[in-house]
Amino acid sequence: SSTSRLVESGEKERLMELLRERLVECGWRDDMKALCRAYARKKGRNNVTLDDLIHVITPKGRASVPDAVKAELLQRIRSFLMSSSLW
Amino acid sequence: WRTAIEQNPSTQIGNQAAGMSSSNDAPVSPRSQLVLSCFEELLDFAVADVASECHRIARLGLDRSVDAEEEELRLWAARVAGDHPGAEDGATRAAGGGGGNKGAPDVFGQTHPAIAADVVDCMNCGRPVVAGRFAPHLEKCMGKGRKARAKTTRSSTAGRYRNSNGNTASYSPYS
Repeated sequence: SSTSRLVESGEKERLMELLRERLVECGWRDDMKALCRAYARKKGRNNVTLDDLIHVITPKGRASVPDAVKAELLQRIRSFLMSSSLW
Repeated sequence: WRTAIEQNPSTQIGNQAAGMSSSNDAPVSPRSQLVLSCFEELLDFAVADVASECHRIARLGLDRSVDAEEEELRLWAARVAGDHPGAEDGATRAAGGGGGNKGAPDVFGQTHPAIAADVVDCMNCGRPVVAGRFAPHLEKCMGKGRKARAKTTRSSTAGRYRNSNGNTASYSPYS
């Protein structure tokens, strides 16, 4: 299946790394961590579940990815899909 | 990766991925939708990653030490202009001079001079050298120094390893 071929080719891993790096560089990761810390303080750190945190940061997380980062990743994904004849 | 089969089975545009962009004005091609979905999935992973780290920090009560460290980082960054360790947690900063914490007390409360004062023996020439000056010493000792080079010209292997321009890239003093 195309899914497993994407994973096997290692490209998914590379893209993940690239995205992670860009999100660190632009401060996105720090922003998300700040949101989580604020939430944990409010709710009490032992009452925080992973699910809570994911729900807390997902909307802001999705909305605050810099356009340039998103464009770069979309371009990489598109190139890869085109070159690997998985269209 | 899952393909973007979304909630509108009736609007099947393409064969591989059905678009679901009901909120967009322009129709998104199935391929663009696939690309977008791939990106969104990567982003979900990134979100889960940072949430996971923060969850761990919260549950282990590390957020207090994170705060203290961030404060220390800020002070240090102010002290060393233009430099930033970029470390997210304290574990990556070694005690003492690790990561460029020059002059500031380390986690054990010790301070160290900017130039390491320990004396070590050069493994090439055997002379004692101040650790903080070791790199420049080694440069001269192994490469640019004419005396060091002169030593091996007497050896039979010298001609094999020396470049005509004296470049040390392929020069081995241990030959």
